Amino acid sequence: MSDMLADSPEAAPSLLSVRDLAVHIRTDGGLARILDGVSFDLPPGGTLGIVGESGCGKSTLLRAILGILPKGARVPQGQVLFQGQDILRAPVRGRIGFIPQDPYLSLNPVFRAGDQLLEGMRRHASGSRDEHRRKLVSLFQAVQLPEPENALDKYPHQFSGGQRQRLLIAAALACDPDLVVADEPTTALDVTTQLEILALLRGLTAERGMGLLFVTHDFGVLSAVCEDVAVLYAGRVADWGPTGNVLADPRHPYTRMLLACHPDRATDLVGIPGTVPAATAQPPGCRFHPRCPIARPVCSQAVPEPLRIFDGSRVACPFHADPLPEVALG
Amino acid sequence: MAELIAARDLVVELGAERGLLKRRAGVRAVDGVSLSVAAGETFGVVGESGCGKTTLARTLLGLQRESGGEIRLEGALVSGASPAQARRQRAAVQYVHQDPGAALDPWWRVGATLAEGLRIQGTTDRAEATVRIAEILRAVGLDPALGDRYPHELSGGQQRRIGLARILLLRPKLVILDEPTAGLDLSVQAAVLRLLRDLRDRFGLTYLFISHDLSVVRRVCDQVAVMYLGRIVEQAPTAELFAQPRHPYTRALLAAAPRLGAQASVPGLRGDPPSLRAIPSGCRFHPRCPLADAICAAEEPTKQSVAAGHDVCCHHWRDAA
Ligand SMILES: Nc1ncnc2c1ncn2[C@@H]1O[C@H](COP(=O)(O)OP(=O)(O)OP(=O)(O)O)[C@@H](O)[C@H]1O
Ligand SMILES: Nc1ncnc2c1ncn2[C@@H]1O[C@H](COP(=O)(O)OP(=O)(O)OP(=O)(O)O)[C@@H](O)[C@H]1O
Ligand code: SF4
Ligand SMILES: [Mg+2]
Ligand SMILES: [Mg+2]
Repeated sequence: MSDMLADSPEAAPSLLSVRDLAVHIRTDGGLARILDGVSFDLPPGGTLGIVGESGCGKSTLLRAILGILPKGARVPQGQVLFQGQDILRAPVRGRIGFIPQDPYLSLNPVFRAGDQLLEGMRRHASGSRDEHRRKLVSLFQAVQLPEPENALDKYPHQFSGGQRQRLLIAAALACDPDLVVADEPTTALDVTTQLEILALLRGLTAERGMGLLFVTHDFGVLSAVCEDVAVLYAGRVADWGPTGNVLADPRHPYTRMLLACHPDRATDLVGIPGTVPAATAQPPGCRFHPRCPIARPVCSQAVPEPLRIFDGSRVACPFHADPLPEVALG
Repeated sequence: MAELIAARDLVVELGAERGLLKRRAGVRAVDGVSLSVAAGETFGVVGESGCGKTTLARTLLGLQRESGGEIRLEGALVSGASPAQARRQRAAVQYVHQDPGAALDPWWRVGATLAEGLRIQGTTDRAEATVRIAEILRAVGLDPALGDRYPHELSGGQQRRIGLARILLLRPKLVILDEPTAGLDLSVQAAVLRLLRDLRDRFGLTYLFISHDLSVVRRVCDQVAVMYLGRIVEQAPTAELFAQPRHPYTRALLAAAPRLGAQASVPGLRGDPPSLRAIPSGCRFHPRCPLADAICAAEEPTKQSVAAGHDVCCHHWRDAA
């Protein structure tokens, strides 16, 4: 599946354009093909959600965009264009804000929060230290940290898990980025606080045309924030399209079975049978075929091409119109 | 059912500094919490970020010393001990960390971390250890080959599941799960929740289940306690709490839960997030409460019984229906 969007109807100039991206990492157990032929576009002000099972390559995708892939990683093919510039060759920092998945590992425990965040701003934003301080304090207020004026002077351990997460959200927004890539940014937040944060991010996309690439496992959050969604499975895009369509009428068997696992929907707690293949041993053909209840012989032979279905939705399964057996849907 | 662990009027002060020159008062992150968890039950704790859930967990574990109140484990008083002694007395209580990255040794292959856990628990046979590790990894939806990886070579959700597997191998009596499903996709989440249920049925485990995911809480917990600013403000059997929330904070929380396919969302809580350094008078929730009146600002509400097992701390809970 090469270019999912090459003939995309909406010709809005892209803020971010990912083309046929692959990422490989050498491991003791062999070559891990983590991403394979991932393509999508994000216009200015656009919001794209990335969902997919744990380990399917979401964080790796964000790291590739940020130019911070781990040691041993290679990009054998593909492009990441940010405002038209190929950033795999020349990474841009400062204009892309990053909210990392693990706030605990992203803050150094021995330095005050303020010193760490201000150092980041000194490198990427203009203005004086005092202006930077004021900016951070106003963002702390916006992300609902208690006592925003004092937060700069505290050490990371003096915050709760969700407060640390909000520190990093503020840090990502501090340099007025054109694009924010957020890796599960609200997992440690209660739903009322989460609501405020999501409104803040959505507001920035609407007012300033900031683009938002948002990894999440929460379909409720997805519906609330993202216009479009790409569903990844084992490093490939399975479904892509407007969020409302994908949620109301999921087509890829993986997406259908995943949605059926929602605790509000499932009759019993059963996940999708089988496990995600190790990145070093991806099955041939459609990577979902060993777990797919409607797989046919061709599925293990040919990599399915993305098919356009309606309203710009694409699905990488030739049998997406086939019904799934009841049992597969919980 | 017999009570496994209980806290009475638990108070935990954090961040107090008693230097020679500098003296800084701490904050009360947990301020008068009482709860009782029966053996075999799954007890949910929900509440605003920063309200004291992790602090409560660390105190029940004995990692954090309480400043007041008492803790009983299987009827025996265990509070008031020195930290080292507290952990020894409470070995039957284990904790699955909120931050998966904090729980794993970055220099050890995760398989070695799991084997170490088994060794502590008394399994010395190498072959048996290998089998049990492979078994638990599969149960949390991981390929046993991942045991050869270092933590930084795993995704966030994979790390979280390793952390969970490590604790479950220890076969504790009580497991405190701090956001155990954060960062897990729905399929893996279902598998993990089922594993927890199976282990509970097989080995009689008891869980204290801290979570922001209300759909999950509703699905797996028997009881739920709702915390706000260091206090439990409402507690009830799960079905009752979701059907008839009485505290205005609980109601705001349930209303804010994101729903599948829902576009617009209700407004969150009005007002500023509360600070532990300036705890409001009377009812701590009154500056943000839609039902607040003069009495709320003046008098602290006491615990009132709504129905059997359903308690609430609010002057106007009858109006919240
Ligand atoms: N440095 C590394 N060396 C080898 N394999 C790695 C490395 N980093 C990640 N992987 C593997 O690559 C795959 C993708 O990891 P990634 O972190 O991108 O997943 P993810 O989709 O973000 O998952 P999660 O939802 O659990 O965070 C995983 O199977 C992981 O084990
Ligand atoms: N060492 C410390 N010194 C001072 N205050 C602290 C310290 N550790 C935590 N706190 C504060 O205590 C409060 C309770 O923190 P705790 O980690 O228990 O919250 P939580 O309910 O687990 O929140 P979350 O859902 O965000 O994880 C927070 O407001 C936090 O800022
Ligand atoms: S006591 Fe008053 S302020 Fe507090 S929750 Fe009840 S109505 Fe609201
Ligand atoms: Mg990730
Ligand atoms: Mg916590």
